[in-house]
Amino acid sequence: MSITNLLQNWSDFRQQHPSDERPHQEYKWAMSIDLDLCTGCNACSVACYAENNLPAVGKEKFSHGHSHHWLRIERYWHNEDREYADQGAQFLPMMCQQCEAAPCETVCPVGATNHTADGLNSQVYNRCVGSRYCNANCPYKARYFNWYDYPTTADVWPAPMEQQLNPDVTVRGKGVMEKCTFCVQRLTVAKSNARTEGRSVQDGEVQTACQQACPTGAISFGNLIDPESRVAKQWEKQQVKLNHDKQAKDAVHDGDKLRGYRILENLRTYPSVMYLEQLREGAI
Amino acid sequence: MIENSFNRRDFLKVLGWGGATVALSGCGNTSVEDGREYVTSYVETADYIIPSIGTYFNSTCAQCDAGCGIMGRVREGRVLKLEGNPDSPINSGKMCGLGQAGVQAHYNPDRVREPLLRNGDKGEAITWEKALQLVNEKVASANPGSVAFLTGGVSGHVKVLLKNYLDAIGSDRHYVYEAVAPSVVRAANKKAYGVEMPRLRLDRAKVVVSFGADFLGTWVSPVHFSRQYAKFRKGVNGERGVLVQVESKMTITGANADRWLAIRPGTEGILALGLINALIAAGLTVPAEVAAAVKDYTLDRVSNDTGVSVEHIGKLTALLKDRSPSLVIAGGAAEGYAHGSQNAAAVALLNQVLGNVGKTVEAPASMPFPQMAPITGNRSSLQALNDSIAKDEVKVLFNCGANPVYSAPASMNMKESLKKVPFKVAFAHYMDETAMEADLVLPLNSSMEDWGTVVPEYFAEGAQLNIQQPLMEKLHPGTLGMGDVLLALLKQRRPAEYNGYEDYYAYLKNAMVAIKGALGGENEDDDVFWDSVLSQGVVKLTSSSNALVSSASAAGLQLPPPAAEDGTYPLRLIPAVTPNMRDGRHANEPWLQESPDPLTTIVWDSWVEMHPKTAAKLGVVEGDIVEVASKNGAIKGQVYVFSGIHPDVISVPLGYGHEAMGRYSKGVGANAFKILDPVFDQQTGELAMYETRVKVTKAGKRVIVVKDEGPAGGNQSGRRIALRMASGKVNLAEEV
Repeated sequence: MSITNLLQNWSDFRQQHPSDERPHQEYKWAMSIDLDLCTGCNACSVACYAENNLPAVGKEKFSHGHSHHWLRIERYWHNEDREYADQGAQFLPMMCQQCEAAPCETVCPVGATNHTADGLNSQVYNRCVGSRYCNANCPYKARYFNWYDYPTTADVWPAPMEQQLNPDVTVRGKGVMEKCTFCVQRLTVAKSNARTEGRSVQDGEVQTACQQACPTGAISFGNLIDPESRVAKQWEKQQVKLNHDKQAKDAVHDGDKLRGYRILENLRTYPSVMYLEQLREGAI
Repeated sequence: MIENSFNRRDFLKVLGWGGATVALSGCGNTSVEDGREYVTSYVETADYIIPSIGTYFNSTCAQCDAGCGIMGRVREGRVLKLEGNPDSPINSGKMCGLGQAGVQAHYNPDRVREPLLRNGDKGEAITWEKALQLVNEKVASANPGSVAFLTGGVSGHVKVLLKNYLDAIGSDRHYVYEAVAPSVVRAANKKAYGVEMPRLRLDRAKVVVSFGADFLGTWVSPVHFSRQYAKFRKGVNGERGVLVQVESKMTITGANADRWLAIRPGTEGILALGLINALIAAGLTVPAEVAAAVKDYTLDRVSNDTGVSVEHIGKLTALLKDRSPSLVIAGGAAEGYAHGSQNAAAVALLNQVLGNVGKTVEAPASMPFPQMAPITGNRSSLQALNDSIAKDEVKVLFNCGANPVYSAPASMNMKESLKKVPFKVAFAHYMDETAMEADLVLPLNSSMEDWGTVVPEYFAEGAQLNIQQPLMEKLHPGTLGMGDVLLALLKQRRPAEYNGYEDYYAYLKNAMVAIKGALGGENEDDDVFWDSVLSQGVVKLTSSSNALVSSASAAGLQLPPPAAEDGTYPLRLIPAVTPNMRDGRHANEPWLQESPDPLTTIVWDSWVEMHPKTAAKLGVVEGDIVEVASKNGAIKGQVYVFSGIHPDVISVPLGYGHEAMGRYSKGVGANAFKILDPVFDQQTGELAMYETRVKVTKAGKRVIVVKDEGPAGGNQSGRRIALRMASGKVNLAEEV
């Protein structure tokens, strides 16, 4: 990609946040996570390690913030000044939110992170020069940098552990940024199969690794363009609109019946992940 | 999954290339070079293998005893990832993190790869022929009654072979040991319901009150209960189920409760009886003898004894009264005391007076083949073995699937005790603490290289028989399956009966085909039946239900008052069973070490968890290294302060502090099993896990706790990240 090409065709490379004039064509991958069902068990996170060749970096590197969990469970307490955390914890699976107007994309000096036609924020490893600007600019802290050469010098996969590595996913070397891809390798296969059969991908045909593992089924994933997909129905029901930065929910104060929201929506990142608020019973 | 039938042996030969390359790096000719096997080029591959396309094969997860159905993605002869088998009623296609890490048990670099014979402090590699011959000699020269097997929970055809082998040598010494098992609750359930583990219907309950049963994280069948929990939360007609968790140290289940009630340790039974009394006052009709037994458990007294506020007892009573059916479960936190059986019985009584038996507590399916039904383990079995060793009654000891040198309390002195057994054989995946003490170490196949059948203890629906099949060729030529070893040992004793089976696979296939009528394949050809069984991974059995009785009674219920304070050892230690580590057998799988503990978010280490008040009293803050000393030993650990624990207790997770095993587990954290006091449940003789008294003293240094939560420690600092609302505001029935 030459700089001339990049400048001349900027609008093709830099897709703006979705608007009525520039709708998604065939696919818009999106997710919905029900926080009332998430138990914080970490099954999704370990499944992500297995699927995406994430290195287990060890205690020392973890303490330096060099962990690589593309999907991490954030755990919050909300017990104000009570003696006990007696309404439990708030667990929140946090991964790349696949923002439609991603702050990471605009700052990449080499166009390594950019937007795909089906609404993914993609990371091109062999373009990445490791400036880490994207990481600094990500409000969700969902990007992870390879400070070490994990496959070789860091010896994260001593033989025969390397045999477990997923051949569908690149093993990243030192100096590149990485993050959740919505399991793009699975999406590619599903899209290719569908195209061969002259149709589009049906709901439920493709699952992300985290969604497939989740014991309570808290995660749903699919094509937001397809009105029959579960995820589109959920977004619709919760009145969360992809290309808005204020939702119906924000306007209602009493008699609130919507629990769908996107994190840090006020930053106008237009994330592709909708969360459903955790619930707590008032009678006890 | 492959639907059409094919010859599994040919399939494995094709996969054999992976195994062959491993063999090349060793010495001697490979089977390929010898011409005994051929390498098949992908140019003329079998129909079901397409290079670069993964094929799924069904099997059974062996990471814990829940028996979830899995399917392994196999590509180019390697198993890459495990997914849940959607056809298994237990996990319906889902999996936990522990299960996901099964591939790291298989590919682990620290696996034992060949039989090792003790020579002084070292293990010398020997051949299987020599090893089995040695076993034969030792068993033949020993008195039949002095040969013993120590195993973990065991079921299926391996259990049958094991029993046959013990019969063949004339011994009845089979000890089944599980370090962390709901043994007391099983005994209490047997009394109250007539079965050890009734079928619990969370999905039908409107209210679940769990007395320390961590059913979402570690208890009995966590993935299955998580599936049920999801239905329970969605509720019938949108009426969301309410979860109340009563325990002294928060578990992951407690962290998901609508109300987590911090209870003074050991007073769970008092609260249960207090609730019955309060329910009577609220108009619930109960038998006169029950009413008489609970009349002294007044609101004030119960609140005073348990530390649970009158307000919360009142609200919980109203909830149980108004929303029926409910479900009350007794778990680890209720049973872990000297009066654990009493606590569990009181909880069962509460369930009964609420009318839940028959509604949310159901009769489990019975296993039509009792010889294959699982034997569950407990600690008193290990005690029995230890006593026999002390009396010099054990001359040959086989150990498989248990690690007592690591997990038995120091007071049992297992390491020294084992020295009295002249010949110890360890079937091992790793050189763990118990294998280090063995005279002969026999390396086992991983569960992804082995054949087998597994019967889960807890059936989700009807009875089922799970199939375990190899997902790839063996990684190490020097390992063998447990079934194969037992078969080889049986051939030494009963050649006429067993010489006809070339290997365990042949035995298993034959045994399964022999009962195909009962497995739903009476009209099928043997091979068609066998292939369909392998393809499905789960055989659903026609079974009747066990009878469920409703015999919990107040007679004989004796609950002691809250324990008096101990001046020297003022705190109580709760050894926590965590979803990642459980009893420590999987500590050498790095994904599990790096997966943060759900509550503390700590990785790669153990910790000493305490309430802010306790920390203030001790003058310690997060990261201080403290010594936790009981009468039976001391361990050190880093302090973690949080408000999900009662101020009278501290908690240290189990599973860490290995002295052997492998590079990812050795020396990581401290072993809390070692300092447990030998206090036992009075009725069952089980180790009372929560009875250990400790004192905590500062041991000098302060470290930075390596954890996943940020410096704000779980505070959102005013940002709207994880949100929560009152359930009354939402109509779940309208949601998608």
